[in-house]
Amino acid sequence: MTSFNKVKDWFISMGSPPFLYKWIMKYLPFMISLSLLLVFISLSWGLFFAPTDYKQGDAYRIIYIHVPSAILSQSIFILMAITGGICLIWRAKVAGMLLRSAAPIGASFTLMALISGAIWGKPTWGTWWVWDARLTSTLILFFIYAAIVGIYSSIEDKTKGDRAAALLSLVGVSMIPIIKKSVDWWQTLHQPSTFTLTQAPSMSPEMYLPLLANVLGFYFLFIALLFLRLRTELALREQRKNWFKQNILGD
Amino acid sequence: MNKLNLTSILFRLLQKDLLIAYRKTSSYLTPLIFFLVVLTFFPLAIGSDSSFLNRIAPGTLWIAALLSSLLAVESLFNEDFNDGTLDQLFISNQPIFLLIIVKVFSHWMITGSPILLASMIGVIFFDLPTSSIFTLLVSLILGTLILSFLSAFGGALSLGKGAILSAIIVLPFSIPVLLLGTAATNAAIQEIEYSSYLFFLGAMLFIVMPFISIATAEALRINSD
Repeated sequence: MTSFNKVKDWFISMGSPPFLYKWIMKYLPFMISLSLLLVFISLSWGLFFAPTDYKQGDAYRIIYIHVPSAILSQSIFILMAITGGICLIWRAKVAGMLLRSAAPIGASFTLMALISGAIWGKPTWGTWWVWDARLTSTLILFFIYAAIVGIYSSIEDKTKGDRAAALLSLVGVSMIPIIKKSVDWWQTLHQPSTFTLTQAPSMSPEMYLPLLANVLGFYFLFIALLFLRLRTELALREQRKNWFKQNILGD
Repeated sequence: MNKLNLTSILFRLLQKDLLIAYRKTSSYLTPLIFFLVVLTFFPLAIGSDSSFLNRIAPGTLWIAALLSSLLAVESLFNEDFNDGTLDQLFISNQPIFLLIIVKVFSHWMITGSPILLASMIGVIFFDLPTSSIFTLLVSLILGTLILSFLSAFGGALSLGKGAILSAIIVLPFSIPVLLLGTAATNAAIQEIEYSSYLFFLGAMLFIVMPFISIATAEALRINSD
């Protein structure tokens, strides 16, 4: 019980901007170097040392960018919905800032998944784009990200913008299963799916392990980017507060 | 002041909105005209071959309905927000999501139901078989109701910001309606079983109605603070 209380106390103290700012500044250099190192190692493992695929040749290696970004595009949305809930229920200011910082990163990862998928599709399917169910729902996910960025950047009052974006991400997360289902079903109805993005399940460990490492590396990269953006967001919003002037600017 | 019960409050709200719309012709005429203009543009842009028109008709009708319901969203909350009616609703101490359901329903009667009539002109424009009219109408009734709720959410979230932002918010969420609606109409034109699509649309309406109206209430509360 005591350890639970400790975690709870820590979690609540994270809601205070000065505490969070200090905490981020403490771990930021570590997170950046760790994530860059991880991404560097796992990408070079995947791109140079993993065996060549017998069917797709070296073209398959884009999987080491494509799959991690696709996984992150969905994880970040779930993170945004959770922080959105915290922002709406407890009116936590920091949760709104977190949501705001995560949205553009999520949109970028979604875009990266789409673009790398298109590049991968050209040599393997012979076309940049097919109206496959998964491609379509990823594209729609990107549009929802864009809508979230659009709504908070159009509202001048920061707290209002946070809450509007939080509400939209909550509605988004509950609508996505319906959209995904309907798109899946639309595809299977109109034309049998010629291509699927899913690889053969029997992927050899020499290919699978670098992929896992890449997913991990991308997660850390996301956390480092989130720290960077959150720090900027905190500095922007709290620049007129006393703690910021005294401790950070040294006035 | 005499005390009103909830039913009569809801009824009076509906009456008020319909009366305002009745006195302001443009509120129900503009979405209707817009719908017809968009319908006219498809044959002009893509080609007027009869069998081809038949194939694109469901998609065209649904896209036109979607666009005109998006266009109409500005009139839903903006006026009430500007003249303070919205604040009155919030301090009326009534369940706000019920008030919103009534508001969206009256908005649908003003802007959505004319589209149902206009879609009959669409049937003539695109030379659709008369057997498909029933499906087209039922799917449009269910679909435009869902779209009204979705665009109410978009309009509430982008209150006072213009229709384009609300369109960006609403369009991704309206994809299931578009898919189901076109599938139902297509199935009816090809004379195959279509009722499952209508059931899906109906189910979606009753999922969307309570949840989106609660979210709309929250969005209005955020924006009118």
